[in-house]
Amino acid sequence: MPNQNTGYIGFTCAYTPLALIHAAGYTPYRILPLGDAPERPGQVLNDNLCAHVKRTLDRAFDNDLPDLAGLVFVGSCDAMRRLADAWPKVRPKDRIALLDLPATADDSSISFFSDELSRLADTLLQWGGRPMADSDIKRSVGLYNSLSRLLEDFRSMHYRGSLDGGAAKLQDLYNKASASPVDEIIGLLEEETATPKISDPNNSAVPVFLFGNVLPDPSASALFESCGANIVGEDLCTGSRVFQPLKVDGLEAPFRELAAGLLGRSRCSRTLDASRPGTIAEEVVARAKECGARGVIAHTVKFCDPYFARLPLIRQALRDAELPLLIIEGDCTMGSFGQQKTRIEAFVEMLR
Amino acid sequence: MSMHDFFVNRVSGIQAAIMETPDRPNANKKYALELSGLGQRLYSDSGKVVWSGICTPFEVLNAMGLTACFVEFMGGTVASMGTGEMMLEAAEHAGYPAEMCGYHRAVMGAVSKGFMPEPAFLIGTTGFCTGGLSIIEMLAREYHKDLFVLHVPQDYTHENVHYLAYQIRRMVDFIGDHTGERLERQKLAEAIDLSNRARDIMVEVYKLGHSVPTPIRGKDLRNFGILMPLFLGTEAAIDVARAFRDEFMTRPATGESRVSEERLRLMWLQTRIQFNNPVIDWLENQFGAAVVADELNYVHWSPLDPDDPFTSLARRIITHGFNGPTKQRINILKKLAKEYRVDGAINPCHWGCRQGTGARGLVYEALKEIDVPVINLDVDCVDSRNFAEGQLKTRIEAFAEVLESRRRSAC
Repeated sequence: MPNQNTGYIGFTCAYTPLALIHAAGYTPYRILPLGDAPERPGQVLNDNLCAHVKRTLDRAFDNDLPDLAGLVFVGSCDAMRRLADAWPKVRPKDRIALLDLPATADDSSISFFSDELSRLADTLLQWGGRPMADSDIKRSVGLYNSLSRLLEDFRSMHYRGSLDGGAAKLQDLYNKASASPVDEIIGLLEEETATPKISDPNNSAVPVFLFGNVLPDPSASALFESCGANIVGEDLCTGSRVFQPLKVDGLEAPFRELAAGLLGRSRCSRTLDASRPGTIAEEVVARAKECGARGVIAHTVKFCDPYFARLPLIRQALRDAELPLLIIEGDCTMGSFGQQKTRIEAFVEMLR
Repeated sequence: MSMHDFFVNRVSGIQAAIMETPDRPNANKKYALELSGLGQRLYSDSGKVVWSGICTPFEVLNAMGLTACFVEFMGGTVASMGTGEMMLEAAEHAGYPAEMCGYHRAVMGAVSKGFMPEPAFLIGTTGFCTGGLSIIEMLAREYHKDLFVLHVPQDYTHENVHYLAYQIRRMVDFIGDHTGERLERQKLAEAIDLSNRARDIMVEVYKLGHSVPTPIRGKDLRNFGILMPLFLGTEAAIDVARAFRDEFMTRPATGESRVSEERLRLMWLQTRIQFNNPVIDWLENQFGAAVVADELNYVHWSPLDPDDPFTSLARRIITHGFNGPTKQRINILKKLAKEYRVDGAINPCHWGCRQGTGARGLVYEALKEIDVPVINLDVDCVDSRNFAEGQLKTRIEAFAEVLESRRRSAC
């Protein structure tokens, strides 16, 4: 049995069941696509894969990772599946589990994903994890729900413009929460909440809603602020989407509740509602309006098919709602993101 | 000329050509006739057209009297007709970036140009690629039509086969609710029997290609393995497969259509380049290189069980080489490379494909392990605008020289 939640399990996708990994006695460690490793994934995959996958693989090539007891990949899209295929070529000794993620959240999909989670629990046990009772899973979900609520408090402070350190600080907290023992990060956040460092809100900043996929670099968050934008609402898979409270009240089997909770979260563009095709567009509009944004910024990493296919529809829905949209394509490096500064400034200026 | 008229003319033209030599197998003509017939039905079967994902079990939809087709067919068709550029530009104008798969961009371009037949409803599949399902969702939205999604599990397990079979049953109910007609047991049984008969002949067709020299020319079975499933469960699949088998069986005796001097044997990976291009002609005429195997021209499934058709259809879908981990695909490629005794492989790395091309490096290394060199060509199989003919020719020349020198050294 590993030490109490000290062994790390690497993960790369916001749909990863963090509470389950925790219940097995491990600490989830998000392998964020950050760092200065040279680009090498073309050796095992292809250069036209999404930058998230490529940068993650760069870290594997560079051994820029802590000791990992294993990795849990989620087969959320082609690129993620290829990442799982390529990983053993780069780090052959790593233990890997691949979760098959349904594209919809209907009843049979939830049952299927519930079985996948059960299989993952077995795998974690085989890797040396703790056997988990239903109460262990419930407790871990409770901890992650507490973490999510604390982060929600910080998010609210930031949206009000009073979080000291601003957007960069909030992103830094998300990154820490994705790669630290949950008790530790809860302690840290509680301490900070008890003695909050409050900054004066920048009343001249323009409220903007930000959505998309992977944008973990706190410098990127700071860049938005430096351009005069106040991100008052956000839906990114390296941000709030990872930390949303899940309902586990014991009315159903825990794996099923967990599956329903994960599939029912704010959606990544690869997940759809078959009864309302393209509803992601209305969801973006609704969230932008809800947070009082004057404009919307979409950030996608290059070569992300699910967003590519849906952005024209989202753009039209925002146009109909008279909400201006700026689309930024990145490669998970500040080198490329920094080049967008002028565009962001011009966009914010237009919104004033 | 409308698309409907185009296909009507094409069908009548091919029928007339077949009638000129009715005693011959006319395989390529019969194949083209069925594809054009499908095109004609897509533009005339109002209320019966179903756009779908590529792993849809077409036997079931054919048994229910529908004109079902995967959307990528449309991308390939407009490219082969020479109208791909127009559709791609329309798609880009509508906001679909050039980094997307060309098949899917062409579909969205056809939508914005009003060239896409309106479906009665849609069946999305999570396999083989994420992009395909995204496009199906966008079509459902565009046409305000109902969508059913088949989730194709990645792993081949008893539970997953059962789960997919259950979904296929639900799909049948969904179709029945939309057409008002239920699937008749007898019609399904007939479709399964027809599918199995076509499958057996397809096995024979592919096996003929193992011969050295091969009786098959590089353009004969173009897109065959990916398009034949559209006709499974109908007599058309049997007619086309039988015509190819009969034609290939007679060729060794006559020497007809054989690559004049088969110096090299090649395997083509992924899909063919859909627009008019000279690659196969270069290979055959300048280098004596025959494309003897296609990754997608392969029968990977056992005959379907007439007593449990949905389970066996589910098994066939899950075990396809393009589903699941890349090692499943690689195992098939290695098997094909050995069976067809290939000297090398051509990988047209379709720009915008994360599913097949995404594994380019893994495939390259795996085939190298069994001493099969691969040339990776950077092309978009649908978008002719970036087809760098001179550069490709130079690379193919160099590849052919390397393969020839390896052959000489081995002798």
